[in-house]
Amino acid sequence: MTPLRRFIARIRELFSASAIDQDFSEEIQSHIDLMTDDLVRQGMSRDAARRKAVLAFGGAGGVEVTRESVRDARGLPIVEQAAIDFRRAARSLRKTPGFTITAGLTLALGIGVSTAVFSILDHVVLRALPYPDAHRLVSIWEANVGTSQGTSTTLAAPGTSSLVIANDDPNRLTVAPAAFVDFKARAAGFSGMAGYARQQVTLTGRNAPETLLGEIVTPGYFDVLGAMPSRGRAITDADQQAGAPPVIVISDAVWLRQFNRDPSAIGATLTLNSKAHEIIGVMPPNFESVSQFMVADPIAYWTTEHFPAELLAHYADHEINVVARIAPGVSEDQARRNLIAVSEDIARRSPKTNENMRAFMRPLGADLTRRVSTSLVVITAMVGFILLIAIVNVANLFLVKSAALRREVAIRFALGASRRRVVTEMLAESLLLTVGASAVGLLLAWWLKGLLVSLAPASLPRLAAVSLDARVLGVSIGLAIITGVVFGLMPAWQARRTRPIDAMASGTRVVAGAWVARWRNALLIFEVAMSTVLLIGAGLMIRSLVTLNNVDLGFRTAGVVAMAVNLPPQRYATQDARFAFFNELDARLRSTPGVEGVAFANRMPMRGSWDTGMSIDGPGGPGPFVSVGCQAVNIGFFNTLGIELKRGRLLQGTDVNGSEPVAVVTETFAKRLLADGDPIGRRFRRDAKLPWITIVGVVSDIRRDGKKYQIDPQAFLPAAQTQLYPVRLADIAVRVNGDDGPVRAAMRAAVTAIDADQPIANVRTLDEVVSRDARDQRFQALLVGMFAVLALVLATIGVHGVVSYLVTQRTAEIGVRMALGAAAETIVLSLVARTGVRVLAGAAIGVGAAIALSRYVASLLFQVPARDLVTYAIACALLIGVAIAAAAMAARRATLIDPVKALRAD
Amino acid sequence: MATGSDRTDVLQGTLALMVLQTLRAMGPQHGYGIARRIEQVSGDLIALNQGTLYPALVRLEQDGLIKAKWGVSDNNRKAKFYTLTRRGEKQLATETARWSKVASVIDRFIKHAPAEGDGQ
Repeated sequence: MTPLRRFIARIRELFSASAIDQDFSEEIQSHIDLMTDDLVRQGMSRDAARRKAVLAFGGAGGVEVTRESVRDARGLPIVEQAAIDFRRAARSLRKTPGFTITAGLTLALGIGVSTAVFSILDHVVLRALPYPDAHRLVSIWEANVGTSQGTSTTLAAPGTSSLVIANDDPNRLTVAPAAFVDFKARAAGFSGMAGYARQQVTLTGRNAPETLLGEIVTPGYFDVLGAMPSRGRAITDADQQAGAPPVIVISDAVWLRQFNRDPSAIGATLTLNSKAHEIIGVMPPNFESVSQFMVADPIAYWTTEHFPAELLAHYADHEINVVARIAPGVSEDQARRNLIAVSEDIARRSPKTNENMRAFMRPLGADLTRRVSTSLVVITAMVGFILLIAIVNVANLFLVKSAALRREVAIRFALGASRRRVVTEMLAESLLLTVGASAVGLLLAWWLKGLLVSLAPASLPRLAAVSLDARVLGVSIGLAIITGVVFGLMPAWQARRTRPIDAMASGTRVVAGAWVARWRNALLIFEVAMSTVLLIGAGLMIRSLVTLNNVDLGFRTAGVVAMAVNLPPQRYATQDARFAFFNELDARLRSTPGVEGVAFANRMPMRGSWDTGMSIDGPGGPGPFVSVGCQAVNIGFFNTLGIELKRGRLLQGTDVNGSEPVAVVTETFAKRLLADGDPIGRRFRRDAKLPWITIVGVVSDIRRDGKKYQIDPQAFLPAAQTQLYPVRLADIAVRVNGDDGPVRAAMRAAVTAIDADQPIANVRTLDEVVSRDARDQRFQALLVGMFAVLALVLATIGVHGVVSYLVTQRTAEIGVRMALGAAAETIVLSLVARTGVRVLAGAAIGVGAAIALSRYVASLLFQVPARDLVTYAIACALLIGVAIAAAAMAARRATLIDPVKALRAD
Repeated sequence: MATGSDRTDVLQGTLALMVLQTLRAMGPQHGYGIARRIEQVSGDLIALNQGTLYPALVRLEQDGLIKAKWGVSDNNRKAKFYTLTRRGEKQLATETARWSKVASVIDRFIKHAPAEGDGQ
């Protein structure tokens, strides 16, 4: 008739189902009454009349059939049936709380933890760079490919200073501008190449002087990244010509802060380092330049500089970072080969500086995220493991339950229950459990994500934007539901093959059960193996992190406040001028109350570095160039930072311009570069044109770049011998006794007293940097520890469940044995032994797997071998111990069996 | 009177038609009354399982052709009375016309069949 109308009516009936039912009961009753009355009037007895009235509905039971058919006509039977099924499923699940809670919790934990952690990691590590076609972007750098006499020293081109991007490869050098020009012009397969370097300047002339961080870039930088200014124009070749007026492109933040987004900012000027720069463009608010991925402070502007002819005349000054875009249709390998070909040509043309220097290339994404922490990839693997363990656990639990139900199901089939009905019921149970657990897991994931984000150190970028990863959620929930359905329907599937008579037979050693038992054992062993691997991995990483945490930096960080004073070259044009400034600052600060020592240098440790190639004088004449970490420091440096003198003397007041050039080196310098003999008196130099520097003292090693980095040879040059170093003094640090607040104020005041226009920046205690790293490590340890605990918990649940099942299954057998006089302990022991064997097997397999995987983890560990015996032993002991304990606990239930009852039951 | 084996089962559609027609002829009626009337009018040629009436009533109600209301019968029993809606009247008219057409066509075929023992 009108199907839609009927459908709507039926939906409405869904909501008042019981009222309608009641109504119909009354109607039928009324019908019977009326008919009875009629028949009585015709002369029948009331009883006979009533009977006939009832039979009129279609024979015996007709009333019920009518009721059924009316019910079928009303409401939506499917929905109602489903509702019934789920209500029944809920009741059934409630009746077995052990199974329900265990399986549900396992799933919820597995789904929740996996999703939350993976969402964070994915966001931090694996998300794409915010540039179009970012997979085509690559980093280019130069490095030496030769080694010297098979030792780990590296050849570095003479006179090179490198503004090295923070990375884990100490041999990596930035690109020389001359080489960059060659690469750009001649390496085929790149649709664009650009150079960039960070720069810090002082902005004056607007409100208070401000230090700004920016990038010097070559024209085409924005093009390579696929970005465009939102207003104005980008930097062009014309801007890079000699004598072209200085221009800058500003960030949206600067546009807002300085100009309130006034469009007339284009064409206005900003005075940077006392030079007027015309603003030619503004970048959009969501633009991030490449350097932004490496620093926390915002990049405020982009400018360009002309490469002077002298700079382009040789290939030795490694100064710029390079990013390039591979042209469409060109493979990464092809582009790389072209690049190497050009660098080989340079080596041929300029063998003195570049004989062993080659160009290297790597996808930008991989390059940038490397800094964040390579162990995150391993944690992703752990996430997968956890999920797998949880699923296996649940599967096992379902198997256990199915074995227990097998008889009941067989009996129901024997009694004529429709197959569909039974299957539907089990399906409803599985779905209710898995979907419910998934919902809880989702909530857990959301909560956990919030918790982890709040605990995460500030160095992990932009975590606030993290949302739960839909893929992991989908996969984990999907797996959960599939597992629930497949294993939950086991009883029905098994019952199909079992003859009811067999299932109902007393005793439990039914042949069909052997298949289940084998699966169960296999799953248990698999689960224990995976938990073992997880525990070992977690143990290694935690050990590594602890070791890292305990590493001695070699210099004091507690109570040391550092301040950056970037003297603009326009007003402090010479090294001497800069030295004079810092010297005066030193004197003023030394007399400040609370100050125990003052140090100044080009950069304090952990705030910057200067590496250069040095040639060491030996019996056979000047040696090859080796890379040395250098610092230009004042006399008070060593005392202030607590660096110990080991031999010879420290720098002193007599080491000035005009006197013999000297330096103090570290122990590693002496050990690695000076072979045997007394280091005092040995000489080294930066360039054949520069004077020899004589070593006058040896101090203890310092980890200049932080805890993670290896100890490198270091040399300390006197700041007073201004002719010896090309870098600018820029950092001053003060060791404070007591509260550092007033001292910080005094530091600022002292600077202003000398030069009112001089801004300061980056005022931090060295401890802050260390503790930031420590927070990083603690966060990682937290994540890893979480997995370890979760793995243990899941493994425990698995073992406990299996043993509980065994006890239940063998109740009769146990009863017999106890009745025959076996002690409870013996029985417990035998149960535990059975399970113990499997646990041991699983642990053994796990150890084997861990050993096989160890080389993938080796690079991530700090001073901990990938096959560290102690960690392996502890992990295994822990897992086996916990598993055995769980087994014992479950087996104890066996002792509570009353032999008489056990024999009777069945 | 036809015996049980001669009684034919009533198709759902025709039952619906009979119910509608009954309500139209008799006005508001309860379930028992409708059943009794159908049996009477069909001359007991129809075996009406009282049970099949009610699903039909439900469907008619869902389609909006009849509506129901509790009331009191002539001998003071509570009963649920059904009435024809306007929609039901229209449907009835349509269905009646259709049946008449079908009946007359069949009728013609039957009338045209050669009778037994007709002359050559």
